[in-house]
Amino acid sequence: MTDKPSRMQALYAWLDERLGLSTIYKVVLDRKVPKVNWWYTLGSATLFLFTMQVITGIFLTVYYVPTPDHAYDSVNYIMQDVSFGWLVRGIHHWGASFMVLFVFLHMLRVFYMGAYKYPRELTWVIGVLLFVLTLGMGFTGYLLPWNQRAYWATTVGTQIAGTPPIIGPWITRILRGGEEISALTLSRFFSLHIWMIPALMALLIAVHLYLVIRIGISNPPSKDE
Amino acid sequence: MNEELKKKYWERYLRLKHKGVKFYPDVVYKDLVVSFALFLLLVGLAAFVGVKPEPPVDPNDTSYIPRPEWYFLFLFEFLKFIPGELEWVGATVIPGLAILVLLLLPFLDKNPHRHWSKRKVGTGVMTAIVLAMVGLTIRAVVTTPPQEEGPVALSLPEQIALGQELYSIHCAECHGPDGEGGEIQGVEGLEGVVLKPINSQDEMYTRSDQTLYNIIAYGQQDLGMPPFGRAYGGELGPAEIKAIVTFMRYTWDDRVELPAEAQGGGMPTLGPDEVPSYEEHVEPLVKRYCVSCHRPGKKNNNYLMTSYDEVMHSGDHAPVIIPGDPDNSILIQLIQRHELDFSRPMPPTKALPDDVVDIFVRWVAAGAPQTAAEADQIEAQQGGGAAPATPQP
Ligand code: HEC
Ligand code: HEC
Ligand code: HEM
Repeated sequence: MTDKPSRMQALYAWLDERLGLSTIYKVVLDRKVPKVNWWYTLGSATLFLFTMQVITGIFLTVYYVPTPDHAYDSVNYIMQDVSFGWLVRGIHHWGASFMVLFVFLHMLRVFYMGAYKYPRELTWVIGVLLFVLTLGMGFTGYLLPWNQRAYWATTVGTQIAGTPPIIGPWITRILRGGEEISALTLSRFFSLHIWMIPALMALLIAVHLYLVIRIGISNPPSKDE
Repeated sequence: MNEELKKKYWERYLRLKHKGVKFYPDVVYKDLVVSFALFLLLVGLAAFVGVKPEPPVDPNDTSYIPRPEWYFLFLFEFLKFIPGELEWVGATVIPGLAILVLLLLPFLDKNPHRHWSKRKVGTGVMTAIVLAMVGLTIRAVVTTPPQEEGPVALSLPEQIALGQELYSIHCAECHGPDGEGGEIQGVEGLEGVVLKPINSQDEMYTRSDQTLYNIIAYGQQDLGMPPFGRAYGGELGPAEIKAIVTFMRYTWDDRVELPAEAQGGGMPTLGPDEVPSYEEHVEPLVKRYCVSCHRPGKKNNNYLMTSYDEVMHSGDHAPVIIPGDPDNSILIQLIQRHELDFSRPMPPTKALPDDVVDIFVRWVAAGAPQTAAEADQIEAQQGGGAAPATPQP
């Protein structure tokens, strides 16, 4: 034991002075929370799934080509020829379903515990937006493999969105980028799926988590609450 | 919520917080356990269940039953209960309102209580909605008929094998089993027409994949070649036509090499003392040389060859196979090029190779067994010769 700090400690101190690491540690990790149960893990599980989707999704875009001529073959290539391509796509595929499931379960736990009430109203509102965006990810991602399932589901989906009188046909045209599902639909869905919606979600998740930490996680309500 | 209630809330919350635990490690530990379990689950699903292969887009295949992701199924099912002219209400207004109510829930819900037992109306309604969603999803899954899908071939050998099979079914009756062409016999409307070979170097060097694709899809109607593309009244989708083109290219074009896995063309081999079975030896031959004419909708004396039962029992002169007695079996007589008063030799255009005829004869002589296990049994009874003893299932 020496009182001279080791190199690592010196490095940490140098970084801490500039980045405020110990403050972050104190505020984020070393804080007190009420005793909570396993239902409270659903939010962080959703966060984990979102992170997995982002990572596997980024790898998929290395080979995926968003054009009608090549989309199907490029997905096929990922599955057949890219090493561990099947694993990356498999995780992304199943992760998408689990993400929707877990967002929904997380919402239900917040609802049944009344955790959306004062002072967490905004956390809830942002949560609902995240829920809608998650569904949007599912809808736009479904078309990308450009197979029969994708094509017909999107045909019907965009057609249903266009059922309201007057504005309906206009909505369908915006979603499809024309009268029919085409190369334009694919590139629209692609940019929504890999860039616009995820960026918005990342932003909203950051605010969501900021609010959770700032306000503190709710306690499981007791019978008299 | 008024100020007094707010103050009461915070007092209580802070008390519980001080009695509580540290976020790290207590809560983080739980979170990590769940995330790690999820990770294992995802890797397991990716490795052992995988992603179901689907055929590529075919806008003309109107028989395809559209199916959304499972989490939208409940909405699909819900729409079935709504009369047509109000569909838009169910499709957009109701879900839109539901999202709006969710969004504004903290402001609409004025009840200060948090425990579910003191919010019976709210939690009751939510429970009913969730149960309805689950119920509708189950109903949708149960009532949607399974999609009938042709085989999906992804790897090159798979595509070549599929192309070979489709070629034998759809093209061999006119172009011959190996694309050799010649005089058409036994095809209504084209009797006696002479086709040039399509497996020649000339054909393969002058026709690109795209041209071949188009010929198959549109046909050459003025010359007698029917269209096969679904968009033009045929029965093949783009994936299937592509497989046929791949098969033609890889088997007939001397500039491309057939991958090792696809060599042998799926044709069975038979040892000198082995007893052939239908499933292992005869079915591939039937598919290659006979099915293109001997399937429903063709001229063939009602003799169909798409399954074991049909091969054994159908036909105007059934049975054409007498197990154990090849000499009196019509089928054997015909492939040995005997002319019968009701039928030409089979196949009409060109004699089968001798080793193929030999497999048919040995199969009928052994009693026309269906499965490999049955063939093994017969082999064992016959004393089996040099054949290795195969364990019985
Ligand atoms: C009903 C009979 C018939 C069937 C079945 C048929 N064809 Fe043809 N095919 C023809 C006739 C007739 C021609 C034109 C005559 C010729 O070019 O020798 C032709 C021409 C072709 C040609 C073009 C030859 C050229 O270069 O101009 C190709 C390639 C071809 N067929 C491929 C196929 C394939 C592949 C199939 C199966 C999907 C098929 N055909 C099924 C009758 C048929
Ligand atoms: C080009 C079309 C074509 C092909 C290929 C073909 N057949 Fe035929 N087959 C016919 C037609 C047509 C008849 C009806 C008799 C006639 O017109 O000569 C027939 C009749 C028969 C019959 C008599 C059925 C009965 O009950 O009268 C048998 C058996 C038969 N075929 C076996 C075969 C076998 C085995 C093969 C394959 C090795 C084969 N055929 C390939 C067109 C074909
Ligand atoms: C991408 C989606 C989402 C992510 C990553 C996410 C993440 C989290 C995390 C990590 C927490 C901490 C507490 C816990 O895990 O329960 C939390 C709390 C919370 N979430 Fe979410 N969430 C998402 C979607 C939603 C949705 C859809 C809602 C509701 C409509 C919602 C409402 C809330 C509320 C009100 C809290 C505070 C709960 C409390 O303090 O007890 N969130 N969220």
